[in-house]
Amino acid sequence: MLFEDVELGDELPAEHPDISMERVVEFTKAAHMNFPRFTDHEFARKEGLPGALVPGIMSQALLATMIHRWAPGCRILSLDTVFRGHVVVGTTPTISGAVTDVDDDERVVEVDLTLTAEDGRTGVMGTAKVAFSA
Amino acid sequence: MILDLHTHSVRSDDGRAKVDNYCQWIRKKELPLDGMVLTEHRQWDDTSDYRDLEDRYGLVILKASEVETDYGHVLVFGVNEDLVNSFDFARIDNPLPEVLAAAERCGAFAAPCHPGRRNVGLFAHYERKGVVDAVHTVEVLNGGSIPGEDELSVEKAAEHGYRGFGGSDSHIVSRIGFCATEFDDTVTDIDGLVAALYGGRFRAVSLREPV
Repeated sequence: MLFEDVELGDELPAEHPDISMERVVEFTKAAHMNFPRFTDHEFARKEGLPGALVPGIMSQALLATMIHRWAPGCRILSLDTVFRGHVVVGTTPTISGAVTDVDDDERVVEVDLTLTAEDGRTGVMGTAKVAFSA
Repeated sequence: MILDLHTHSVRSDDGRAKVDNYCQWIRKKELPLDGMVLTEHRQWDDTSDYRDLEDRYGLVILKASEVETDYGHVLVFGVNEDLVNSFDFARIDNPLPEVLAAAERCGAFAAPCHPGRRNVGLFAHYERKGVVDAVHTVEVLNGGSIPGEDELSVEKAAEHGYRGFGGSDSHIVSRIGFCATEFDDTVTDIDGLVAALYGGRFRAVSLREPV
């Protein structure tokens, strides 16, 4: 994706990221945050949660990855997310994005980001500022 | 005319949408909206002035509030100084009957939003605590609802004889206009909106693209 091809209203290709237990365990090990609420459904349920939860920073990473797949080589200047609902490990969420502002002078675009849980509830939403090289 | 009666901007703690970006999105996407009402959480925004954006984009941009009560969240249209001094907008447990009474006394219009939301919506509270007689209108279509919630809102609203309106409950730009309210009369300012809501000549509309 080149900056010249980006238009207000463009949608980033939606994805269904892999948030299987195996992937989440890999992520928590890599991030040194191996807490059972992320990797043990039974433990999480005892805490009153619907099941083991995908860590917030993993959700952010999935959204950032989507941006880079859409525009390889871009720079993410900011990623501002709000965590609205639980994203349970082993479900099938949808991540999506849309271009909501284009700054031709700075070659920066603003993107809306959403991670929607399997039941339709918004799990994570936010915005990113993405810079394109000249 | 069609107005989105439930939107949030960066003025809300969990809002990430600039009003300017809402406007350009509406025009770029050719949404059939004539305007929006900014319903910021737990506050009355008496400083923002959107008249320049109204002129630039040809949209009606009004301000209201979303307050929190012991029966769930409530949208309040026509907020004025008297109403701001009637209860604490920042509290999360305002008694619903008091909010409704204060709104009516001060010439405003208050109505519960997303009443079909599981555990936290008005109708879930009705199951546990009983009905509040002063409720007359609810938001039956909400852009943040999951399947089944709006259906419950519509069903229960009919059961109680409530009028219903719609709003997107957007917190990011691309979600504006998922749901809205169609008015028979033209609304150009907040007094006109309050009068139109009390007049009851409106209906909730869904503007989501078919899946």
